[in-house]
Amino acid sequence: MSDPTPAPSQSKSPYALEVRNLNRSFGSRKIMQDISFQLKHGEILVIMGGSGCGKSTLLRHIIGSLKPDSGEIFIHGTEITKLDDEGMSKIRKRFGMLFQTGALFNSLTVGENVALPILESSDVAPNIAELVVRLKLELVGLTGFEHLKPAQISGGMKKRVGMARALALDPDLLFCDEPTAGLDPVMTSVIDTLTVDLTKKLGLTAVVVTHDMTSAFRIATKMIYLSEGRILASGTPDEIKANPNPYLQQFINGHADGPIPFKLSKDNYLKSLLSPESL
Amino acid sequence: MLLEYVNLTIRAFAGVFAPLYGQRGWKLSALFAQMVSIGVASLPTVALANFLLGIVLAIQGAGQFEKLGSTDLVASLVAFSVLREIGPLITAVIVIGRSGSAITAELGTMKVAEEIEALNVMGIDPVRYLVVPRLLAMIIMMPCLTVLGEGVGLFAGWLISVTTLHLNGFFYVTNSIAAVEQKDLFTGLLKALFFGAIVGTVGCFYGIQVEGGAEGVGKSTTKSVVTSLTCMLAMDAILTTIIYFIL
Repeated sequence: MSDPTPAPSQSKSPYALEVRNLNRSFGSRKIMQDISFQLKHGEILVIMGGSGCGKSTLLRHIIGSLKPDSGEIFIHGTEITKLDDEGMSKIRKRFGMLFQTGALFNSLTVGENVALPILESSDVAPNIAELVVRLKLELVGLTGFEHLKPAQISGGMKKRVGMARALALDPDLLFCDEPTAGLDPVMTSVIDTLTVDLTKKLGLTAVVVTHDMTSAFRIATKMIYLSEGRILASGTPDEIKANPNPYLQQFINGHADGPIPFKLSKDNYLKSLLSPESL
Repeated sequence: MLLEYVNLTIRAFAGVFAPLYGQRGWKLSALFAQMVSIGVASLPTVALANFLLGIVLAIQGAGQFEKLGSTDLVASLVAFSVLREIGPLITAVIVIGRSGSAITAELGTMKVAEEIEALNVMGIDPVRYLVVPRLLAMIIMMPCLTVLGEGVGLFAGWLISVTTLHLNGFFYVTNSIAAVEQKDLFTGLLKALFFGAIVGTVGCFYGIQVEGGAEGVGKSTTKSVVTSLTCMLAMDAILTTIIYFIL
């Protein structure tokens, strides 16, 4: 049987990632409705939207953790929604993922965490894996931290170790779920710079899920804005900034008042505070 | 739920034998780490529980046999009960409370912290990487702990009989040996083997099933302990019946 997962150089698709008409419901609640977009090689796509809009669910569909009700997802031209565990496992070896919490194994050292995908996916000699680990940690500026446990390093360092681990198998696609959540502005900038630098240096294509607008505009070459499971706007950062959609403008400018339905505006708050029921 | 448990159990046992078929298997270092965590670390508690039950059995037995004027039968009672029933049972209860719950809590916390999803994304099968070493360690260590626990229980019975009940130590030993057969020892070990498989699979299953943060970990750990205890007692009854009527 032929291998359904061609190498990137063999892939005929002009897109690193393509999503077509993706739909997913949990019970009667529609989480994703007719999501479609394409991402060319070398681009950085930022998926943004408010809490609960379906952006993390979309990412989990793209990495194969969830299966859609309908629609197709192509990674380097290979449709992944119908793949079995073995086929998905082969595809997954070609992408890396940075989790919101870092998802480092607390029982392993920093070095062992980075070495894990290398040692588990092939019969690489431990001394070669050690060399690769040093190289990857150097990429994220953490040389010399190999022997520390995740509990002994800061949140920003955990994200960088997570990034080194995501890059361990030299992926061509990098997925980041809220990479700057919970970080201070300086560390946010460090992670953003790292994402852009590594994408350029290593020729990666990246998909970043975030609702940090400063970070989003700093790294994106393409953006999509999700609202209630639909793509409300998409385009380059300049196109997004110029888009007059009131929902989008409220979101990117971070205003409490506007058409987005999850708000509790200043007026509503004062009304509810001064209403006879609350007195 | 039951279907998912059966699925995980089949995958885990297939993973145990995967290296025989040339597939990527479990690592010896991971197995040893789990054997230390599940077995060696449980040893003091298992020994203490068996020691105390050995004392209780001897004293309770002596109270009854004294009425019949045959206190020397205490040796037979302790040897037979410890090897066939009390040893495997109390060892399994301790391992469920100590290691089975720890497996569920550990895997559950890993699930909540996205570590299991991270394994999936890295193309590493969590069943092979996490479940198989724990299950195998449980199956290996449960009989080992049972044998050691039984030894301690028998010693406790001898000690209390000689020091408090004033029985002759040498005759106690010969009575014990005469009372039991090789089959009694194997019965206990067979039970321990099955108990190990139950505790390992149930503990891992509830760990991987965790949803909803710290509260979910707590609920799953409780379910894991209750299910393991119930299944272990059911398996004990089944095996005792089979052994009584068939072997």
